[in-house]
Amino acid sequence: MLSEKEIISTIEMLRNEHLDVRTVTLGINLFDCVSHDLNTLKRNIQKKIINTAGNLVRVCDRIGEKYGIPVVNKRIAVSPAAVFGAPFSASQLVEVAKTLDNAAKEVNVDFIGGFTALVEKGIANGDRALIEAIPHALAETERVCSSVNVASTRAGINMDAVLIMGKTIKKAAELTALADGLACAKLCVFANIPEDIPFMAGAYLGIGEADAVINVGVSGPGVVKKAIDRAIASDPNLDLGHIAELIKHTSYKVTRIGELIGREVAAGLKIRFGVVDLSLAPTPNVGDSVGEIFQSLGLLSIGVPGSTAALALLNNAVKAGGAFASSHVGGLSGAFIPVSEDLNISESAKAGYLTLEKLEALTSVCSVGLDMVAIPGDTSEETIAAIIADEMAIGVINKKTTAARLIPVPGKKAGDSAHFGGLLGQATIIPVNNGRGVNRFIRFGGLIPAPIQSLTN
Amino acid sequence: MNKAVISILGQDRPGIIAAVTGILFKLNCNIENINQTILQSEFSGIFIASTPSDISNDDLCAQLAKGLSHMNLHVHIKSLEHKDKGFSGDRCEPFVITTIGPDRKGLVAGITAIIAKYGVNVTNLKAVFKGGDNPSDNIMIYEVDIPDNTDQNLLRAELRKKASELGLDISIQHRNIFMSINRI
Repeated sequence: MLSEKEIISTIEMLRNEHLDVRTVTLGINLFDCVSHDLNTLKRNIQKKIINTAGNLVRVCDRIGEKYGIPVVNKRIAVSPAAVFGAPFSASQLVEVAKTLDNAAKEVNVDFIGGFTALVEKGIANGDRALIEAIPHALAETERVCSSVNVASTRAGINMDAVLIMGKTIKKAAELTALADGLACAKLCVFANIPEDIPFMAGAYLGIGEADAVINVGVSGPGVVKKAIDRAIASDPNLDLGHIAELIKHTSYKVTRIGELIGREVAAGLKIRFGVVDLSLAPTPNVGDSVGEIFQSLGLLSIGVPGSTAALALLNNAVKAGGAFASSHVGGLSGAFIPVSEDLNISESAKAGYLTLEKLEALTSVCSVGLDMVAIPGDTSEETIAAIIADEMAIGVINKKTTAARLIPVPGKKAGDSAHFGGLLGQATIIPVNNGRGVNRFIRFGGLIPAPIQSLTN
Repeated sequence: MNKAVISILGQDRPGIIAAVTGILFKLNCNIENINQTILQSEFSGIFIASTPSDISNDDLCAQLAKGLSHMNLHVHIKSLEHKDKGFSGDRCEPFVITTIGPDRKGLVAGITAIIAKYGVNVTNLKAVFKGGDNPSDNIMIYEVDIPDNTDQNLLRAELRKKASELGLDISIQHRNIFMSINRI
C-alpha cells in the first residue's frame, strides 16, 4: 500500500514542478547502410530509420500516458555521418543531411543528431567534407543536429580543427542570418564527447554502441528548486551539507523516473536500454530553470561570486543521487547552463551578472560548456575559435566533457536580443573581449599535446 | 475448524484490539489476518480467525458482544466462504487514480461508478477531505486493479470527462511510478 505522502509528493512534482522526461533518444547504427552510390546510401538510411524508429513516438506517448509523465521530446541519434559518408563530397553530404531530415519528419521526431565528425587527433577526408557541409546542411534542414569533437584528454586539442570550426560557425550563422544565426544552435563543438548523449545538439550514436539503443534524458530543475525552497522555509538554519543531501534525494527520484520510462520504451520497441543522462535540463519556462536554483541557494543571480561553488555543489549532488538510482548512467550527466534556453540565466546575462568569462569558469564544474551563448555577429572567426580552444582546454585538462554552442548573431551587437524560438529560447547578446581582434595564437595550428595523467594540480 | 470473518465497529479508544483478541484467545480461536483503520474518531477492524468446530458464529458473536459491551462496539460475524474466490487481481495491472479539486457531494460516487462499469477493482481508497476552498486540500486516492483486457483509452476518456464535470483534476498512473520514485 502506498502512503498518502508518497502519492501526493509525486503528483506535486508532476503538476507544479515541471517534472518530465525531457527526451527519449533512439540511437540507430547506420554503418550497414553504406554504399559507394549516394542514392543507395540515402535510400538505405531512410529505410533503416523508418524501420527502427517508426513506432518510437507512439510507444513514448503510450508509456508517458501510462505513468502520467510526459515524454516531451522524442529524438534520434545516428552513427557519425563523417564515417558512414566518408566517400562523399561536402555537397553530397548535404544531401545526406536532407535525407536524415526527411526521415526525422517521417517518424515525427523533433531532432536527429549524428551529422558528426570525430577529429580530435586528425582530420580524415570524410571529416573534412562533413565539416565543410555543416553550414549548408544545418541551414537547409530543420531537424538535423551536428557535432564535432575537436579535443580529448587522450589526444589533446586539434587546433587546426578548432580554427576550421570557428570559420564553420561564422558561415552557418551567415547562411541563417534572417533567423539570428539559428543554424549555430544546432551545432556543438566538443572535447571528450560521450557516445551516448541523448540531448541535442550533441547526440550521436558512438561506434562502440549496439545496432539500436534507447537513451533517456531526464529533467527536473524545478523539482530541485522547490525541494530547496521548502527545506529552507521549514529550517532557515539548514547548512549546505544538508542541502546537498536534499538535492541528492531529489536527483534519485528524477533518475528513477527516467530509468523506468526508458526501460519500458526500450522493451516496447524491442531495443536495448542504454543509459539515463542525469542532467538538469532547463526550458525557457518560469519554474523550470537551473538559474533559479542559484537564487534559492541565496545568490543574487547566477554569475555573481559564489556561483561556481554553488554549481559545484549542485552538480555533484545530482550525480551522487543519480548514480545511486541507476547503474546505467551516462551521457553528459550534470547541470546544464544553456543561456538562451533558461529564462533566468538569459536575464542574468542581460543584467550583466553573467559574463562570458564567468560562464567559462562555471563550465569547469558542470556539464556541458558554453551552451547557447549569443555573441556579436562581427566576432571574428579567430576569436570564435579562441573561445572554443579555451573551452576545450578546460575539458581536456579536467578529464571531462566540455562543449561550445556559440551563436554569432549576424548584424547584431552586444546588448541586442536574439530569438531562436521554442525550446531554444532567446538571449541577450553578451560582449566578447577582443571580439574583432586578430589572434596569432589560434593561427599557429597543430595539436596541443595531451596532458600528462599525473601531477594533477 | 471453521473460519470466521469478524467485523468490529465503534468509537476508537485504547484497548479495543486487546479486548477482541483476548476473547478470541480464551475461546481457542486462532487469528489469521487482522486489518484495522481509524476514520476521524471511529475504529473499524476486520479479523479472520479459525474457530473450534464446537463454537457457532452466533455463539462467538454473543461472547464478543458481551465481552465488548462496556466499549459500545458493534460486532458482525460471517463465515469465510471458499466457494467463490471473489475478484482476482492476477490478470490486472495496478494503477493509482488521484483526483484533486473542491469538495462536493457525489465525487466518489461519480468516479467509482465509471470504475465499476469497467470491472476495475478498488483495492484501497483514501479520501483526504480537509474542507475549505483550497482545491489541493481535497484529494482522493484510489488504488485500483485494472484488468488487462480493459480498453484503457475509453476508461481514461470517460474518467476525464466525469472529472471535468465534477470540477476535478484527475491523474491515472501505473503504480510503479510511485514505487520507483519513493522506494529503494
